[in-house]
Amino acid sequence: MAGNVSSGGGDAFDGLLRRETASVDQKLAAGEEQALAQTRNMDLLSHNGTLPVTVSSVQVHGARNTRKSFLNPLFEPLVEGSRNTTYTLAEMLDEIGAAVGKLQKFDIFHDQIHVHLSQPSQVDPSTSPTDLDVALRVREKSRVFLKTGTDLGNTEGSAYGTMLLRNLFGGAESLALNASTGTRTRSAYSAEFATPVLSNPDLRLSFEGLASSTHKPWASHEEAVKGGGVKLNWTSPAGDRYQVGYTGAWRQLTGLGERASPTVRGDAGDSVKSALSYSFSRDRRDNPMLPQSGYLIKTATELAGWGSLGGDVAFSKSEMELGGAVPVPVPGVQGNSGISIGGGLRAGMLYPLPLGYGLSGAKPSRINDRFALGGPTDVRGFSLGGLGPRDGRDALGGDVFAAGSVNMLFPLPRVGPDSPFRIQLFASGGRSVALRSRVKGKETPAGQGLDAGTVWDGMVSATKDLSTGLPSIAVGLGLVYAHPVARFEVNFSLPLVVRREEEKLKGLSVGVGINFL
Amino acid sequence: MSHQKSATGADADVPASAATTSSTSSRASWFTIPAPLARVFRRFPLVTYPANELPVRSPTHRHLPALYVFASDEDALRGWPSFNPSCLKWQTFLKLAGVQVRIVPSNNHASPTGALPFLIPPSAASDADSQLPVPSNKLERYALQHGPNQVPDVAGTKMDAYQSLLDHRIRNAWLYALYLSPPNSQLLSQLYVAPVSSSKPVQTAVLYQLRRAAEAEILQSVGARVVDSAALYNGAEQAFDALATALGSEAWFFGSSEPGLFDATVFAYTHLVLDETLAWVDTRMKAALQKFPTLVDHRARVLARCWPEMAAGSV
Repeated sequence: MAGNVSSGGGDAFDGLLRRETASVDQKLAAGEEQALAQTRNMDLLSHNGTLPVTVSSVQVHGARNTRKSFLNPLFEPLVEGSRNTTYTLAEMLDEIGAAVGKLQKFDIFHDQIHVHLSQPSQVDPSTSPTDLDVALRVREKSRVFLKTGTDLGNTEGSAYGTMLLRNLFGGAESLALNASTGTRTRSAYSAEFATPVLSNPDLRLSFEGLASSTHKPWASHEEAVKGGGVKLNWTSPAGDRYQVGYTGAWRQLTGLGERASPTVRGDAGDSVKSALSYSFSRDRRDNPMLPQSGYLIKTATELAGWGSLGGDVAFSKSEMELGGAVPVPVPGVQGNSGISIGGGLRAGMLYPLPLGYGLSGAKPSRINDRFALGGPTDVRGFSLGGLGPRDGRDALGGDVFAAGSVNMLFPLPRVGPDSPFRIQLFASGGRSVALRSRVKGKETPAGQGLDAGTVWDGMVSATKDLSTGLPSIAVGLGLVYAHPVARFEVNFSLPLVVRREEEKLKGLSVGVGINFL
Repeated sequence: MSHQKSATGADADVPASAATTSSTSSRASWFTIPAPLARVFRRFPLVTYPANELPVRSPTHRHLPALYVFASDEDALRGWPSFNPSCLKWQTFLKLAGVQVRIVPSNNHASPTGALPFLIPPSAASDADSQLPVPSNKLERYALQHGPNQVPDVAGTKMDAYQSLLDHRIRNAWLYALYLSPPNSQLLSQLYVAPVSSSKPVQTAVLYQLRRAAEAEILQSVGARVVDSAALYNGAEQAFDALATALGSEAWFFGSSEPGLFDATVFAYTHLVLDETLAWVDTRMKAALQKFPTLVDHRARVLARCWPEMAAGSV
């Protein structure tokens, strides 16, 4: 067949096209025959890539509930390009591939999208010999999706029910209603309406409302949150995620434990957070649950209560995380040895700001805004929130923190590197420091503002304090099981360095989570 | 009792360990570490630094008992009377008993019972047990144990009868005057709503919840289906009349030589009704009280004894 092509004439290609239908099948279809057909198509197309073509029509079949105005921008480049006299078949196929890729990302069609190319009937006098008709056959996913199940998050297990309404207004809009209850989250209800912007699946705008009640035993209270927000998500072609958003939340610290400390009692009650946020993440790890190579960068910034944002708390809060792993080759072992060295670093700072336009001074941070540090997913060998200042039995959290960990993973003997099990050697440590500013011996009401100089001096001294002495450190040995849903660890740990009152774990402990340091 | 929004889901049956995924305590149960190894383990941690310092909002002055009440920040700092009758009753009683306390402005969410006041005895951050709060129903015993002053202990049916006047007739009129009377809504907002949050939607929600709770409490107490303000104020006037008769020409109730718990209870209402610093617009309750000069004088006597600096200034 390929022999015919050398003539390069339009007629020769016509003949081929009539007999062959190019089917771009995105899912890796099983079956040798299909694979053969695909290679044949690829051959054919690559040999005819430079053929000049024009697109006379684009048809989408099967998108009964999808708006035309929503689909139009997707195929615009296809039609636009075709006006150009140097438009070739290869370019057109690229454009079609891109459009199909976008269609798949919307999550409204089944993955199998068929593309058919054909020549319009020559009887029609308005057609030219280079004209092609493009037809896509799609199958819409059901518009209502119900799901119940169990979920594992960072140190939490939960049961949930979700109702997802897809393609609500024919433009890939979705409405997700979610209810869940778990070991830590007493109850959580949320509703999220999301829509692609300008028919771009990588740019999504979402509106969210939520009501939840979370049990926080490490600080003897329960936090009830009612709030809402709007977010704009953008995914770059390389897979980096950016998000900007606004959140308003009414938080209520309530249901205090009998032994709740005066600090927690002082923070009990209501506060409103009104905040702008920005986050970025780049995840280039081979496997998020068991990274053997690659790296992760995450940053998040939040600005609350400043200027005309309003609310009852004002601060800027920044947090960043770096993580990575490198495989360790073993001489004499071909390919992946399954041994790797990984490390991670997290740090964050909460800087109190004046509420509004700064007449009353900066309000010191509350327990629900400070960083909690410690626990199986960040500093192993300490209990949840076990690092940092404590009042009685309550972990109060820090305004500045830094934590790091190094671990080495070995495959289990006889099980091999492809299994999800590893033996882990780790050392992890961190510091969590609260802002101090108090003039000793002077009683000040909890709500009183701090002036800018005091805050600055306090933050500088707190940041310096991160590196006074050694950080609190624990080392240990454990077994890791990386399930696709979550990672499980059983560790034996020994604390090396601690601060008095910090809650260390000596001996065996279990950790479940999705995002380990 | 709670007329601020009560702590939602304030169930105390929270098992401290049920939700933690990490535990070391189980270790001992299924194997014991050999003694030499245990000796090695005991040497860990190798380095122990001093405890971390507490955040700015943590209270520092813990050598004094702290009484958590409804109060503005400034009033709390000066130790001035709370604007909540239940809080003021115990604040006054502790003063009468001579117990020195630090006043902490707070709200019902902070309380172990869901309602203020409560007291935290002198405590230390390193000792969780020292921070166990004393709820209001145990405050009398606490005050008698820790105060140097002898406070007359008048118990019995006589006091119970008068107590019920305060708990129902006067309290209902108070609830109406502060929470439901439209002219006083400014005062309600200033005292109970604005401190909750600066956010308007939250304030609206809180105001609605407070009014609903007050109305429900009044209706339950009087057993009616609608709130009749005239009847409530009349009831209060009759109760004041009965109290004035009970007081007679004595300085303190029940002929005691020193003021006691009942004097504090009466004062908690009479002081707030007469307080010039509270911007009452609907003053019908004040007018009802002013018909009984002995009660007005009684209030002045308690004020002079507990807050001499205020008595000199205002009355």
